[in-house]
Amino acid sequence: MVVGEVATRCDVLVIGGGPGGYAAALRAAHYGAEVVLVERDRVGGTCLNVGCIPSKVLIHAADLAHQAMASTGTGVRLSATIDVPELKTHLGSVVEGLTSGVSGLLASAGVTVLQGTARFSKPNRVAVVGDGPDAGIQHVEFGEAIVATGSRPIEISSLPFSHPKVLDSTGALFAFESVPSRLVVVGGGYIGVELGTAWRKLGAEVTIVEQAGSVLPGLDARLGRVVGRRLGELGVEVLTGATALGFDADDHLRVAVGEAERSVEADAVVVCVGRRPNSDDLGLDIVGVTTDAAGLIPVDASRRAAKRILAIGDITAGPALAHKATAEAEVAAQTATGREAHFDAMAIPAVVFSDPEVATVGLTVAEAKDAGITASRFVFPLGASSRARTLGSAAGHVELVVDEEGTVIGGHLAGPNVTELIGEVTLAIEMAATAEEVAATIHPHPTMSEGLLEAAHRVLGMPLHVRGT
Amino acid sequence: MIEFRLPDIGEGLHEAEVVSWFVAVGDRIERDQPFVEILTDKSAVEMPAPGSGTVVSLGANPGDMVNVGDVLIVIDDGGAAVPNLTESAVADAPEVAAPSTPLAPTVAPASATSGRRPKAAPATRKLAAELGVDLHSVSGTGPGGRILADDVRAATERTAPASAALGAVAPPPIRTDIGVPATLTRPPAASSLGQAEPGVQPLRGIRRATAKAMDASWSTIPHVHAFKEIDATELLEVRGRIRDALGDAGASITPLSLMMMAVARALRAYPLVNASLDLDADTITVHADVNIGVAVASERGLIVPVVKQADRLGVVEMAAEIARLSGAARDGSVSPVDLADGTFTVTNYGANGGWLAAPLIRPGEAGIIGFGRSEERPWVVDGAVVARPVLPVVIAGDHRLIDGDLLSAFHEHVCASLRQAIGLLL
Repeated sequence: MVVGEVATRCDVLVIGGGPGGYAAALRAAHYGAEVVLVERDRVGGTCLNVGCIPSKVLIHAADLAHQAMASTGTGVRLSATIDVPELKTHLGSVVEGLTSGVSGLLASAGVTVLQGTARFSKPNRVAVVGDGPDAGIQHVEFGEAIVATGSRPIEISSLPFSHPKVLDSTGALFAFESVPSRLVVVGGGYIGVELGTAWRKLGAEVTIVEQAGSVLPGLDARLGRVVGRRLGELGVEVLTGATALGFDADDHLRVAVGEAERSVEADAVVVCVGRRPNSDDLGLDIVGVTTDAAGLIPVDASRRAAKRILAIGDITAGPALAHKATAEAEVAAQTATGREAHFDAMAIPAVVFSDPEVATVGLTVAEAKDAGITASRFVFPLGASSRARTLGSAAGHVELVVDEEGTVIGGHLAGPNVTELIGEVTLAIEMAATAEEVAATIHPHPTMSEGLLEAAHRVLGMPLHVRGT
Repeated sequence: MIEFRLPDIGEGLHEAEVVSWFVAVGDRIERDQPFVEILTDKSAVEMPAPGSGTVVSLGANPGDMVNVGDVLIVIDDGGAAVPNLTESAVADAPEVAAPSTPLAPTVAPASATSGRRPKAAPATRKLAAELGVDLHSVSGTGPGGRILADDVRAATERTAPASAALGAVAPPPIRTDIGVPATLTRPPAASSLGQAEPGVQPLRGIRRATAKAMDASWSTIPHVHAFKEIDATELLEVRGRIRDALGDAGASITPLSLMMMAVARALRAYPLVNASLDLDADTITVHADVNIGVAVASERGLIVPVVKQADRLGVVEMAAEIARLSGAARDGSVSPVDLADGTFTVTNYGANGGWLAAPLIRPGEAGIIGFGRSEERPWVVDGAVVARPVLPVVIAGDHRLIDGDLLSAFHEHVCASLRQAIGLLL
């Protein structure tokens, strides 16, 4: 019998130190709360440690290598040597720099960080099981708890991560000591496309296996087509309408493509078919939270899931994106500290560091129609963009979607650096700006942002750099 | 399928503002259940449902103006054919509700209530949340129908006084000391009178109706004003005696009751003052009935309910009718019928403390009489200066219809009746 187990008390307990959790902890501390953050691995979560950040390091290095090795016709000839161990060291140092920055922020905000795995033991208490050499159980009693435990890669039974050749997205970043000669990526979503493209540019033979009709399913189909064409130019084999079935006796990957079945040789198979929420071992029943069929925690607009319990990020509905979690963290921190707040964003942008980059926000015309809005799309092809031409890239387009009154309700972009451009479209949507107002805003020349200007001009029926309307 | 259009509910009504819906699309509604509050020219009206069923669509957003004949609501009563909504209120609507999709939006794009989010910037959305304003109910005046912060503030100003006015209204204060008490035109509290945020707000409701009427009055009617002061001693004495005689039942008998009776008799004596001029038709319509409007300052704005056939009412009936109408005007429950068919107007502007004022004639009428605040003033009686309660009586006549001699005669008729107020009881 445990009598009077000693518990640390706090106003706000945050479980999970990813971009949702650490932001919630910082904000709650800013609002004057005593905050405890429980992190079982390293602060920064998937994003900083094994997701957005290291993958961008890899992609940047791969782009450098590719530019060196490809015949660019610019009059500059380079050659490249790929040193994977050094790349991984570099990758680790970027991650380390950012995560230690987060740790420093948490420390200076007065947030207590506990290393371990939290599980609800009472409606107002968690037990934190440490996993270090001095592992023990700590009890934390909270006023409000913010659950921000994130998600993990989905495992498919035919390709278990226990198989020596099968890797998840983390493995695709850290497991290789040299460039694999034959890499198969199962799942042509944004993670698969990013990783497949990067390793192809570093020299691997890459095959992408995607069940849908094109890569980047779920995004506007035109974006997937632009990226699919480029993957072909890069020499990536894309199998669409394809399903990975498992390994045959020769350890080749069996892939069903339509009616046919193919055998694909692979040194490694990266499985990135989606992510599932980390909600299964939290003791949520003890705090009166029932997850839905997908394992997600239902919350209201203030991020409340139950008395004392809030939830943010991948563990709740919506796109599993770091910036969505961070935005929800702002709301949850206010709610947890007794403030009136609700999640109210008009649109959550999404970016893919594919080649070319893809960025999307708001509604497509089809989605608008489902919402009862008669929308129209206006496209500026980047072939007419002076900046795209100077970058040696004419593939892609900038598309604005507007409603009946010309208000911007969506933007779907493919092209160089469009991930930086989507912020303007997102701002336009949040402000309910009209295309006329975008067109009245001076965009600097020569930049990619002029594509938005041109698309807005097109809405007004007055394009400048393309013919017709 | 029942399609209910905004009916003509009198007073030459052509349009009305939708204040609030009591039902939403998809709700069950019962026959005669009030389903919408609309603000007509100076009155708020709750419309009863024409039948029972499920609400298929609403014809406008709160704050929108709708015209007589426009579809207000479509109710699925399990009956036949879907009406074609595009011919009326939703002429510009991009989509028409299909019978199989009763939840589809059927309102005009500028005021769509479909699944879309209201168009407003984050700071505006935050303001709306703070003020408790549902952005779905706000019409945006910004580019592309964007809701601006001022639109949100205007929405609170439009709804807040209305809800406040729905509460109990204190009985009019009655002064028994001296002078004419402030009975009907109780001034709004100083805290709300004239208060507004900087910025542009839509012209709606009573303000809009008043603006249009006064614009027409000032720009089309050549006013001639005349001013008199009378000794109100007998008027106040008679009022006091009636109240003494009636006890509690006489509490509502005010000097205004007697003033209204005096005006009614003068209108009966001079029918041409109880008339309407129509220059387009080149006609003068002399009204059979003497229907006197009484200007009431409500929290919603200036409202003029009408005492019908005022010349046929005794003082007790007159007082009761004035009390009923002014109460209804203040709490927003006055019916369109009570606002219609006025032939002349009385304003008791003295309740606001005014001495002499030059009131404007309501378009369609030939004149208006205003009563100032009665105060003790020096007055010459039998060659001696004595203090007497003095009541200013101001008249305005439409000079196109009424010449100076008629106006003076009518004016004097009213004043004479008041000087000898006992005669009003005969």
